[in-house]
Amino acid sequence: MAIPTNIKHVRTINRPGITLCIAREGESERVFTGSSDAKVYALDMAQEKPEAVAYEGHASYVTGVAVAGKHIVSGGYDRKLIWRETDGGKLVRTVDAHEKWIRAVVASPDGSLIASVADDMVCKLWNAESGDLIRELRGHEQLTPHHFPSMLFTCAFSRDGKYLATADKPGHVVVWDVASGEQAAAFDSPEHYTWDPRQRRHSIGGVRSLAFSPDGERLAVGGIAKIGNVDHLDGKALVHSFDWRKAERTFALEHPRHKGLVNELRYTADGEGLLAAGGSGGGFFFWLDAKENKPLGDEDAKMHVHGVACGEGFAKVYAAGHNGVAVWEMTA
Amino acid sequence: MAYRRPYRMAVVLALLPLVLAGVSASRAVGVEPPAADAAVERVIDHYLDAGLVERQTPPATQTADETLVRRLALDLIGRIPAAVEVRDYLADESPEKRAALVDRWLGSPEYVEHQATMFNAMIADGEGDLKTYLQAALAENRSWDQVFREIVLADRSGDAGRDAQDFLRRRVRDIDVLANDVSVAFFGVNITCAKCHDHPLVDDWKQDHFYGMKSFFSRTFETGGFVGEREYGQIKFTNTTGTEREAKLMFLTGVVIDEPQRDEPSKDERKREDERLKELAKKKEPPPPPEFSRRAQLVETALAEGQRAMFARAIVNRLWYQYFGQGLVMPLDQMHSANPSPHPELLDALADDLISHGYDLRRLVRGIVMSQAYSRDSRWEGDQRPDAEAFAVAQPKPLTPTQMARSMSLATADTESLASVDDADERAKRIASLAKTQNADLFEQPGVDFQISANEALLLSNSERIEKNYLSGGLVKQLAKIEDARELVTRAVWSVLSRAPSEEEIELLEGYVSTREDRREQACGQLVWALLASSEFRFNH
Amino acid sequence: MTRAGHHRLCGSDVHRRAFLGAAAAGAAALVGDVTGIRILSQPALASELRRNDRRCILLWLAGGASQLETWDPKPGRPTGGPFLDIGTSVPGVRISELMPKMAANLHRHTAIIRSLNTGNGDHGGGSELMMRGRGREGGLAYPDLGAMLARELGQADSQVPDYVSFYSETEGRNFSRLSAGFLGSRYNPIELTDKMALPDVERLESIGELDHRERADLRALWSKRFARGRDVSAVSSHNVAYERVRGLMASDKLFDISTESQATRDKYGPTQFGEQALIARRLVEAGVPFVRVARAWWDSHGQNFETHQELTPELDHVMNALLDDLAERGMLENTLVVTLAEFGRTPNINASLGRDHFARAWSSTLSGCGVKAGSVYGRTDDDGQHVADGEIGAGELFATIFQALGIDHEKEYHVGARPIPLVNPGIVPVEEVLA
Repeated sequence: MAIPTNIKHVRTINRPGITLCIAREGESERVFTGSSDAKVYALDMAQEKPEAVAYEGHASYVTGVAVAGKHIVSGGYDRKLIWRETDGGKLVRTVDAHEKWIRAVVASPDGSLIASVADDMVCKLWNAESGDLIRELRGHEQLTPHHFPSMLFTCAFSRDGKYLATADKPGHVVVWDVASGEQAAAFDSPEHYTWDPRQRRHSIGGVRSLAFSPDGERLAVGGIAKIGNVDHLDGKALVHSFDWRKAERTFALEHPRHKGLVNELRYTADGEGLLAAGGSGGGFFFWLDAKENKPLGDEDAKMHVHGVACGEGFAKVYAAGHNGVAVWEMTA
Repeated sequence: MAYRRPYRMAVVLALLPLVLAGVSASRAVGVEPPAADAAVERVIDHYLDAGLVERQTPPATQTADETLVRRLALDLIGRIPAAVEVRDYLADESPEKRAALVDRWLGSPEYVEHQATMFNAMIADGEGDLKTYLQAALAENRSWDQVFREIVLADRSGDAGRDAQDFLRRRVRDIDVLANDVSVAFFGVNITCAKCHDHPLVDDWKQDHFYGMKSFFSRTFETGGFVGEREYGQIKFTNTTGTEREAKLMFLTGVVIDEPQRDEPSKDERKREDERLKELAKKKEPPPPPEFSRRAQLVETALAEGQRAMFARAIVNRLWYQYFGQGLVMPLDQMHSANPSPHPELLDALADDLISHGYDLRRLVRGIVMSQAYSRDSRWEGDQRPDAEAFAVAQPKPLTPTQMARSMSLATADTESLASVDDADERAKRIASLAKTQNADLFEQPGVDFQISANEALLLSNSERIEKNYLSGGLVKQLAKIEDARELVTRAVWSVLSRAPSEEEIELLEGYVSTREDRREQACGQLVWALLASSEFRFNH
Repeated sequence: MTRAGHHRLCGSDVHRRAFLGAAAAGAAALVGDVTGIRILSQPALASELRRNDRRCILLWLAGGASQLETWDPKPGRPTGGPFLDIGTSVPGVRISELMPKMAANLHRHTAIIRSLNTGNGDHGGGSELMMRGRGREGGLAYPDLGAMLARELGQADSQVPDYVSFYSETEGRNFSRLSAGFLGSRYNPIELTDKMALPDVERLESIGELDHRERADLRALWSKRFARGRDVSAVSSHNVAYERVRGLMASDKLFDISTESQATRDKYGPTQFGEQALIARRLVEAGVPFVRVARAWWDSHGQNFETHQELTPELDHVMNALLDDLAERGMLENTLVVTLAEFGRTPNINASLGRDHFARAWSSTLSGCGVKAGSVYGRTDDDGQHVADGEIGAGELFATIFQALGIDHEKEYHVGARPIPLVNPGIVPVEEVLA
């Protein structure tokens, strides 16, 4: 299977505020987004002018949304997880899930589990159906090496659902055995974190995205390369890949053209290609040859892409970004 | 601008017998003012002496020759004199020796260098650097009106980046600042007070004057590192009653310049102009000069007969301040009718002399330093020290950063090799090279009412840089080799303070060294330090 | 004061002097001298004596802290950002959730001003303006806040520094161009950057203690002989400067926090900002009238929220510790602690999730000496885009600071013949935040 490196913009639905995350219901054209206005929206992208149905309930930015079975689960900076029915949006439950901002919410591939990560540096596993807390995964430091509160930005399941990876601001990555809750591996990818000890004395960056290869052997880690001026997201988009069982880095790529955070990573089904999306002032999509460690096609995304949703293929890629929701078409 | 006030000759004559104690007969107040072509120093002494008579203040005595040589050296060539230079002067029996020394130093490369440093601080005032340009101008004694012309017209004939343009280029982003800085530097007036309302100090300055001055520069802009001027553009302002007015092209004296009517360009014309300018900037070529230059009008107007007194008086006052430590008008940027000089006739006479001698600054400087007023002692023996503006006694002036650095360097250098050099020019060159400017950045540029900071005292007291550069080699090593304590301390005082020590001083210093026989070289370093850090060294007195 | 006051700046006072003619010019020069050393010989007024123990610490949030992530949150608004607000110990007053410690203690010492409109969103221009209370105008080198307070609150012959400024980060260090301006270098700051100690206060090893003292005595003796008959202020200032050397050398220990108890050090925390705040407390305790502790660099054009997640809690902790420590020692009655920056940050959030420069509606705080604790002055509109109520500029803030410290903001310096008041004429303090 060839890698779909032809990237084409189809359309953008402008939305007020900042659209921070997106999830797609199966292979349908129905998507759910989380926004800076504290709402979850349901949009039917099949329509010419999709109506955005708003679901209220959060009190701050909605930063994670996942679809699991019949439920949409959203999480936000208000520390809450909210379950709704995908059909009609009826509120199922609200859980005070974390002690600090929730940064990401993902569903396991079979839809049975929900994982949430937050700045309390804990990853929590939830029964997607009942909402019961199954397990707390603790393996990230509360503080950065420079004594500031750390942040746990991202998590991702392996395709078989056996493993879950989490990664934080200073670049610590943990792979968890989902069944036992034990750490299967842990390693560091510190190039994603920039600490300016002298000029400005604060930090920027962090690991923002993770993806297991379809065979589960490799783990891609996305973020931003070292930054000179930490006032700006002025570093090259950065992707690392690890043979995570050996904690060995198999490649590192600073994109030659695109700057900013890599907020999303997606492998093709055959594991040959790896899509990265993200941005700074503007945004980008770019493809990597996942085996050869080299950049393939790329495109300016016209907005800082905070999240993407796609199905098994890349014929329709939905992107959540600074000014709305965009539809992209990626073909070989 | 009325500077004149009645000259009360009768009073002067009546007081004459009372005050002549300190004024020698040869310089006595003449009944007649000096002739138009009289030597500048005679003009100066004539008017100042008359002022002293009027104030009933006898002046301080003339200072000792060694102090005079030190003062002249610091003022003219920017460093203390080497001991040998003072000794030569003392030994010289010629009645013309002062004039000969002044002329020698006025013609030296060190004079050009020092004056360029002083003028750069005075005109550029920390914003931009005209030093290289000024060096070239002063080396050929370029006339002051020409320097003014080149700066205001942004002349580019010097080396690239080191030309007269820099003054305008650095200020062109803010025309208010530019107009005011030109007024301060060349006309001795700060006009910002007239920006928001008519000038409260000066009845004859209105907002029109501020915006008039601004208008001369309103078409000036920067492109590709060049200063250019447009053909169009008017300034409007709202006066205190809220009425909008169009600024006239008005000089500070109130003269309004007629200019050809120019329509504002259309949007398209502007666009084309911008493109042309971008094109030129890319090629690193200057923008074309305008057919009608407002800045050229300013230069012509300011130097026109009937208008030019302001320009001439401003530089006279600046130079006077530099040499006397007190202007004929203070503050230097308040030379207007509401702030008259205590010596209006003198100021006018010097300005007239400058104009009639082609704005020759060296003539003016020579006159200043040849005057008896310049060579008065800085110590006042009476009860109440007279006001500085009477010029009855010399003002101790804090050394500038370069004077300080060069003097410290020379004072503590190994000067033994100088004795064997007979050729005067060669010796001057050697001395100049011993007076290094490095470390000038450690000291602050003195302004009016300058106060020396505790930072400086700490620096002198404890800095490794001072220790290493001035107290570890050269003079200190030489002194340590001198066995005779009397000879040692005498040499130290000559080297640092450019004079012979008194008996009392010798005893004091001998005492200091003799209690440190076990660490003689260190004692020499401490002795030199005490003299270097003394007020006597820190000031040009 | 009305516009009539304005004319006093440039006008009537000098007019009168001008009428007196040349004879008065001498008097004008003498007035000019009050900024100089002559103050030594003038008997201090009773009010000035009382004022002598007043101090000020400025926490300078260089680069521009966001008012929305500190003192003036707008949760739930499109401009509000992700942080919530929290209630404070003052009923009805809410601040960013990033400042829980200050929230709990707000009623004790602190007043918030939420209505600054200062008009200059440039780092250089904004810093100059907010350190001086006025922009560059009138072709005058205005003194900054520290120099004015050193002049007003310090003692001419003080054995400790008058004005110390910490700025350890390199970014923006030179933007505020600290300077005593026309007050003269006597009041220039001692600026500390890399080392947390005064420069040149340690005796070099090459000279013994006794020799160091005796060569200074020799210098003093020689200089006194020179000064006889040369009674001018520049010469006296030279000797006063050297007289301060030994005191300043002894004050070196003020910068050594290892002599503080572990409990006190823990209170301030291990951060550089915390340690500098602790040194600031030691300095004011020893009589230093003004200390600026700059914490750079808040210029969060990208990732504003994550930057403030680091910097705001640090500010919250250090500021709270400092106020608490000063209060415990009974020093807060006489010490004013100010938080200020060159400007605030835009309510609009840019695509890099950053906020940009914004001088139109932002905040500052005053705590301690002369301040009405728990008061809040001014209000911005719902989205924080404009000041809705109580708009003030840099001048009013400075007048308020002076007033809080018992200094008449209408007091005038004289530059030559020009009277220059501490803040521009017509400007009044914000009485609402003054005790």
